[in-house]
Amino acid sequence: MSAIVVKDLVKRYGGFTAVQDVSFEVAAGQVTAVLGPNGAGKTTTIEILEGFQAPTAGTVRVLGADPRTAGRAWRARIGLVLQATSLDAQLTVTEALTVFGSLYADARRVGEVIDLIDLPEDARTRIGALSGGQRRRVDLGIAIIGQPEMLFLDEPTTGLDPEARRRLWSVVENLTAGGTTVLLTTHYLDEAQHLASRVIVLADGRVAADASPDQLRAMGGVPVIRYRLPASAPQLPASLAGYLDPAKNELSLPSADVTADLSALVWWARENHVDLTGLEVGPPSLEDAYLALVSEPEGVLAHG
Amino acid sequence: MADIAAQTAPGQTAQGQTAPGQTASGQTAQGRPRRLPGLGPVLATQVRYSLTMLIRNPRALVAGLVLPGALLALQAGKAEHVTMAAAAPRIAGLIAFSAAAIAFFTHANTLVIAREEGVLRRWRVSPLPAWAYFAGRIVAATLLTVAAGLVLVFVAMGMTGLHFSGHEIAGLLADDVLGALALVALGIALTPLITSAQAAQPMLMLIYFPLVILSGEVGSITDLPHWLTTTMTYLPAQPLVDAISGVLHGGALMSGHDLAVLAGWTVGGLLISYRFFQWDPHRPAHARRPEGSTTARSA
Repeated sequence: MSAIVVKDLVKRYGGFTAVQDVSFEVAAGQVTAVLGPNGAGKTTTIEILEGFQAPTAGTVRVLGADPRTAGRAWRARIGLVLQATSLDAQLTVTEALTVFGSLYADARRVGEVIDLIDLPEDARTRIGALSGGQRRRVDLGIAIIGQPEMLFLDEPTTGLDPEARRRLWSVVENLTAGGTTVLLTTHYLDEAQHLASRVIVLADGRVAADASPDQLRAMGGVPVIRYRLPASAPQLPASLAGYLDPAKNELSLPSADVTADLSALVWWARENHVDLTGLEVGPPSLEDAYLALVSEPEGVLAHG
Repeated sequence: MADIAAQTAPGQTAQGQTAPGQTASGQTAQGRPRRLPGLGPVLATQVRYSLTMLIRNPRALVAGLVLPGALLALQAGKAEHVTMAAAAPRIAGLIAFSAAAIAFFTHANTLVIAREEGVLRRWRVSPLPAWAYFAGRIVAATLLTVAAGLVLVFVAMGMTGLHFSGHEIAGLLADDVLGALALVALGIALTPLITSAQAAQPMLMLIYFPLVILSGEVGSITDLPHWLTTTMTYLPAQPLVDAISGVLHGGALMSGHDLAVLAGWTVGGLLISYRFFQWDPHRPAHARRPEGSTTARSA
């Protein structure tokens, strides 16, 4: 059963087309990430699914209803984390969750949500005094207090530090384990890889790819040789040095001839007595595949 | 433009029709039905929430209670033998001043800030009916206005030694309710014209200060042109001052003219809001799509 059905969706702003003939379905219980560069149409698409905007053409159904005309009962089945935090700074965490929880007959207990979002020590703190990551978790708490069947997460971890992102991920994982359908937009490829079982890549308002993260990686081109160099490692040969990320001290070499490139690396390691523990050969990372997709002139590489 | 009608009726379109894919009971064609709480408890929670937000706003307490209370104390302290006839216009003016500060200035200001910070957007997608959100805000602003008016009455009694009968206090507070409703409605109707949180305070002050000064709320103004004094009787502040003053002079609750003006502003303000109110933050021109689209964020 599909939680979301999007068919031939078009959204134009005057002469500008933000979304062009986008179609996809999301099965109930699935976690789907929508990726794309700025201007790709992902926020427009998600805002149409949330009911904020009307499509120019095409049809959209979320939990069987048109989001523009669906009423209170439908909204009780939806949870949203909007792109920007939208909270009353004067309320405490408990007060904010209580007032939103009062809108649902079968809301989660406030204490349960506070535990889920891992803010028990700040339950009585005013939201204005919380850090950005803590506010984002309150946003998520408000989104989930009504036990939504469908959760929209619009760039939920933008601006958060790595630890805060991991905490928010674990909350989402708990929800999806319970069967909640999630549609996630994000700029972080590792987030999509970690949370989503399916990735839809939008580019220039169209679907450029629709596949699982692993399938997407496999579409991304030639295999990649990855190796994190020890701190004391000498200079790589010229043929490899250009693929070294100095920040991570990691070699990431897209290789059309794995045998030849590996031979060069093994020769260098043997000559310099460098331990190659950790050497990997595999498909490109999701980031590599994504960048290859969004930089394609025609955009469309595959539909899953 | 998103108006209140766009999300008014639960499970229904603004015209009262059942939405496609939905049954009249609110159950979608696909998936399980969701029980919803009764509107009474929801409304009570909204009033409590809005009241909390107003009480925690220092502007409401300073401009709505501390300042008029201090002015009242100062004016009462100057006089040796205070009579009701002399004190009534001052007391009425400062109670109306307090009402304008809370129900108009503070309420409209916080509404614009809530819109620009995305708080209204969050409410709009919740299962809360739009009317319940506004009812909560209006009732809370009115309750706080009346509470402030009552405190000012006690301050006046304490400082002047004047006695207010139960009838006078009840009449005065009833006038305060009608005035607060008109001022709240005026403020809500003006919010679509205010395009940023930074602009809210100066734009509202442009209306608030002439309103309170020209209506004599903080002291009588003489030698105003006739057209201006006539105009003031058709704005919400002057009828409120006149009505409270009339009650303190032992007169009727409110004249027909004053009642009509306040009712007109209440109904007119709410009708304008119903049509033009905006839930989404305004976006600066450089962030808009061509043709003035309102959805430009990273598209």
